[in-house]
Amino acid sequence: MNLILKKDHLNHLLNAWRQEYEVYAPQSLQNFTHFLPLQDGFELAFDKAHNTRIPPKALFLPTSEALLKFTRFGGYEEVPSETAPRLIFGIRPCDAHAMTMLDTVFEQERYTDPLWKARREATVVVGLGCHEPCQTGFCTTVGSGPFNHAGLDAILTDLGEIFLVETLTEKGEHLFTQLETASEDQSMHASEVQQAAAASMPIAFETEGLKQKLDQNFASPYWEEVSRSCLGCGVCTFLCPTCFCFDIVDEAQRGERVRNWDTCMFRTYSLEASGHNPRPSRVERTRQRLSHKYSYWLDQINQIGCTGCGRCVRYCPVGLDIRAMLRKAHQLPSEVLHA
Amino acid sequence: MPDINALKAEAKRILSEGMVDIVIGFKAGDTPLHPQPAFFKTPDEVDQLVYNALCQNNLATYLTRFPKTQKIGMVVRGCESRSVNALVFEGQHPREGLYLIGVPCDGIIDWRKIVEQTGEEVFSVIEQSDNTVLVEAKSGFFTLEKETLLHESCARCIHPNPISADVVIGELLPEGDPALACEKVAAFAGLSMEERHAWFRQEAERCIRCYACREACPMCYCEECFVDHISPRWTESGTTPAGMQGWHIVRAFHQTGRCTSCGACERACPMDIKMTYLTEKLNEDMRRKYNFEVGLDATTAPPFSTVTLDDKSRFVI
Amino acid sequence: MSETPKLVLFQCQWCLFAPADQEWVDTQLPENIHLAKVPCTGRINPLYLLNAVQGGADGVMVSGCLPEQCHFKTGNIAARRQLEEFSDYLNHIGYEQDRIRFLWLDLQDRGIIQKELAAFEAQITALGPAHNLATRAAEKVGGVNA
Ligand code: SF4
Ligand code: SF4
Ligand code: SF4
Ligand code: SF4
Ligand code: SF4
Repeated sequence: MNLILKKDHLNHLLNAWRQEYEVYAPQSLQNFTHFLPLQDGFELAFDKAHNTRIPPKALFLPTSEALLKFTRFGGYEEVPSETAPRLIFGIRPCDAHAMTMLDTVFEQERYTDPLWKARREATVVVGLGCHEPCQTGFCTTVGSGPFNHAGLDAILTDLGEIFLVETLTEKGEHLFTQLETASEDQSMHASEVQQAAAASMPIAFETEGLKQKLDQNFASPYWEEVSRSCLGCGVCTFLCPTCFCFDIVDEAQRGERVRNWDTCMFRTYSLEASGHNPRPSRVERTRQRLSHKYSYWLDQINQIGCTGCGRCVRYCPVGLDIRAMLRKAHQLPSEVLHA
Repeated sequence: MPDINALKAEAKRILSEGMVDIVIGFKAGDTPLHPQPAFFKTPDEVDQLVYNALCQNNLATYLTRFPKTQKIGMVVRGCESRSVNALVFEGQHPREGLYLIGVPCDGIIDWRKIVEQTGEEVFSVIEQSDNTVLVEAKSGFFTLEKETLLHESCARCIHPNPISADVVIGELLPEGDPALACEKVAAFAGLSMEERHAWFRQEAERCIRCYACREACPMCYCEECFVDHISPRWTESGTTPAGMQGWHIVRAFHQTGRCTSCGACERACPMDIKMTYLTEKLNEDMRRKYNFEVGLDATTAPPFSTVTLDDKSRFVI
Repeated sequence: MSETPKLVLFQCQWCLFAPADQEWVDTQLPENIHLAKVPCTGRINPLYLLNAVQGGADGVMVSGCLPEQCHFKTGNIAARRQLEEFSDYLNHIGYEQDRIRFLWLDLQDRGIIQKELAAFEAQITALGPAHNLATRAAEKVGGVNA
């Protein structure tokens, strides 16, 4: 259903939601924006940036969290998984789309992560479409888009003085019961804005046949070339909304088993207890990152594992650009190369 | 700014004369704010070489990735040349295996300071001859004073000229003022204990433990960093307050007498965390207590590698 | 402060020349003082101090031999440089420098360590519990990195 939300009514609505939910929205933290819980007198920071620096996956998979507590002489206690009702407001479509991909990881039939699941179920997600798409993002290239609905309960379109609200699920409808319905014209206007936004985004690289190229060139010198300046840090993966790797560590001194973010770009990620490391250098690690997103995800869920949010492009300390890397990959020969 | 053609010509010369196997420099990036470190193996590739104030990395960080037998050419600014000296002192590469093309540096621009003023959508950045920078952004054209955009470490730089370079391209610049460099440390030290701690906590607790600061630093080349040790566990893993503080405290402390204040760590941080106020305190102490500055040559041992009986220490009876 | 402060003593195994003193340290150290014996003060990595601080120590004392009496010749003066700087540095970010102390013991000293520890304890008691730097504690879900 399409509804109209006046911009000057937004804060009122957010405050009303705060009665029922803990409401997270992009606010300023230092020089960037971050999903923080709204406090009295909050100030939203939508105009500052499209995406928050840290993707909202962190609200479901915190950088560190305790899984269970134990004592030295036996006995342990699991950390309860219930979460109070939450609402995330102003999430961009690329980030919301990424959440649906992570669901396929954390909510598999045989292995469901109770913490992730509880948080997902307790959370309503209201998106804000990108009527002026960002420079580094390339959502349309990877099958998403600036007004993609995946993972959202409702989506807003900025029409100047007003937002057009499209409710997409029951949870979403429940949020906007007080609003008046949009007129035919307004809905039309919104869909024009949406189409124009998508159309304004250039195709960053060819995805057709890209997977095959990556698979066939597993042993190509290409990987050495594109990874030469890579520092092997965690920026591109920690800031990526679809990266989910974690490490489980026993903090014996304080008696907790914790889960921390981890990344395939770290040397220790694939280091085995024997001392052998199957991905001994940044070459193999870079290959893993790109191939996971543009090949292995396709094998698993038939979707590209990147939603084109552009964070890795923006914040890589040495300016490595995944778009340029993939453009180059597409130029690679098709025949199978052997090591 | 050095003449880019002279820079290229020298890089080509040393490659074609077989003096080096590879030249490390920068090339244009795929995004306007981020030139990329680049590795040139043939004279033809050198055509891509660029050098400008947005080149934010310390290239010496790549030195330890190469075998010691490899002959390496590198474009170095003041701080980079000192990092190289420090690495040579630590036996990370023989000086004979290096050819340093020095460029006097008038400071690195912190791209964050551009974005703060222009918004995040930047299309191009052009340095102009009158010390201004022309930025084309979605929100319009901006002419910004370069001085206001400099990274803090560069604004306080003491040694802008390359030290012990094999050749210097461009005119030497006046040396910086050491008094200016310690001003900031002194100002910070002048705050109350609680204020200093509040600042430290506020910065450290934003950390996501991505280790970009470590990987960007030429002096963090340990095969196994202390945070990667499982037993003994030196500090907590993850982003607990103790874990984040432990990481910040020790990473900086490991640079005592080794850090050249290049600021590459800070510029690499995705969370815009300030951290040079830690290393600068240590550098300043090394200057004050032991009259030591790192990298002025490749032979003087840093204070923690030497012992004397006559330290003027609080711990002396 | 009414609470007894938590102290850590890093003791060089050579510095207590009198067997009675060593025996006192080994068996009769008050409960609030945690003993870490090391083969030489030169073996003390600043990480050990950090570990003590993050473990909740209100004060850390290092006891070693006089400068020219080191069993390993220069271990103690190398340690002095590093640990002094480390304590200055911690002071810079919120852990008072007076909470870290280096004690030099002489061949002739008898019963000094007991007195020094008592004096140090009094000094730390006056400073109050260390509260600035984070200690290892159960983690919460939430915060900036939630
Ligand atoms: S952010 Fe850049 S430097 Fe860091 S691991 Fe990713 S590609 Fe490499
Ligand atoms: S790979 Fe890069 S562009 Fe793609 S979703 Fe991750 S951070 Fe965003
Ligand atoms: S610690 Fe930072 S400022 Fe110091 S040398 Fe390393 S990267 Fe440069
Ligand atoms: S932080 Fe310390 S241990 Fe880790 S890499 Fe740097 S110098 Fe080595
Ligand atoms: S780069 Fe920044 S966020 Fe990453 S580990 Fe260093 S301080 Fe933390």
